[in-house]
Amino acid sequence: MTVQTSSRSGGGYLTRPAPSGLADVLEIILDKGIVIDAYVRVSLVGIELLTIDARIVIASVDTYLRFAEATNRLDLYEHGGKDLGEMVGDLQSSGASGKVEGVVSGVKKAIGRGDEDDDDDDDSGERRPRKKATSSRRRAESR
Amino acid sequence: MTTPSHRGAEVAPDPGDRGLFVYAVVPSDLEPPEDLHGLDDAPLALVRHGRIAAVVSDMALVRPPGRRADLTAYTQVVETLASAGPVAPVQFGAVALGEELLNEDLLAPAENDLAAVLETLRGRVQYNLRASYVEDVVLAEVVSADPTIRALRERTRLVPDDAARADKLRLGELVTAALEDKGAADAGMVLDTVLPLVEEHVVRPSSPENPLDVALLVAEDRQDEFVDRLEELAEVVHERMRLRLVGPLPGYDFTGGTAWAS
Repeated sequence: MTVQTSSRSGGGYLTRPAPSGLADVLEIILDKGIVIDAYVRVSLVGIELLTIDARIVIASVDTYLRFAEATNRLDLYEHGGKDLGEMVGDLQSSGASGKVEGVVSGVKKAIGRGDEDDDDDDDSGERRPRKKATSSRRRAESR
Repeated sequence: MTTPSHRGAEVAPDPGDRGLFVYAVVPSDLEPPEDLHGLDDAPLALVRHGRIAAVVSDMALVRPPGRRADLTAYTQVVETLASAGPVAPVQFGAVALGEELLNEDLLAPAENDLAAVLETLRGRVQYNLRASYVEDVVLAEVVSADPTIRALRERTRLVPDDAARADKLRLGELVTAALEDKGAADAGMVLDTVLPLVEEHVVRPSSPENPLDVALLVAEDRQDEFVDRLEELAEVVHERMRLRLVGPLPGYDFTGGTAWAS
């Protein structure tokens, strides 16, 4: 049941990451599985904080301003804003040229950063959630 | 390893008290690999009841909390067991105060339900699928489709950051709503494409940037077809949407609730 690390033969457009960091593992297992009521729980204070932050679905003034700024930054001459139908047409007429680079690599950066080499640390203390001020365009992808 | 003590849950643990960390429920005829160890490198044991069994290991009740190594050990055990047969993971962190209590609290009352869950999971694996927008492309779609958004954008884009705040908020609000509408349609399109190849699914909360986040239960012998279908779809949509697939995984999202109650 080891997670595959690479895509099968094919276009390679489908991103297939191997979960490795703490954030990846948390995303997979947190709040999942059989719950046994009232059982002793191993304390996970630090991990819970981290994850609550990661799960925030932004729906606030901050979000609106972020999208307003992103919209204002757009270069509409560069990005034509095609719809899916047009794109399918393009692919059929021109062939699928040019693979996409830079797949969703930012997804885990927000909360996975710095968790790679502290296997024996107690996670309850120093691992603070990201501060609101650090909200970036990638933040919401991390939930 | 000492024998786990049998105590009521109301008794606060003392240093030296032991408990049973519970990893998962499996069919009672499963034998865990001997070289597979759990938290604190403890050997695994099975607590059997009828058709089902809990996979446990002995642990000190008083110990440092929530270490990353604990998560790793837990996932390792669950994944290894899943490679041998159906596994219903128990939520990370559950500790039973002895075999008798584990029998009373979980295995006896839930035997029928959990046996059914295990049958649902047999021969199937979980994949987590997430769709993410290529932001600039999709925002350009939103701008070109809505004259109000276009006008607000023209009015606000060349003024300083802190000016025209009301207009910017309105713009952002409209853009967010448009993204959510678009996201609902795109999520439906992705689901329509993959669900014919999927046995069960659980949709998780989405966001304007990630219009779809879903756990999918896929038959082992349909995995190639499923991945190929997604690969084709990813190629078609990649200019505006990226698809990210994690798996195969144990069926963490399919241990109860709608997956087996329906």
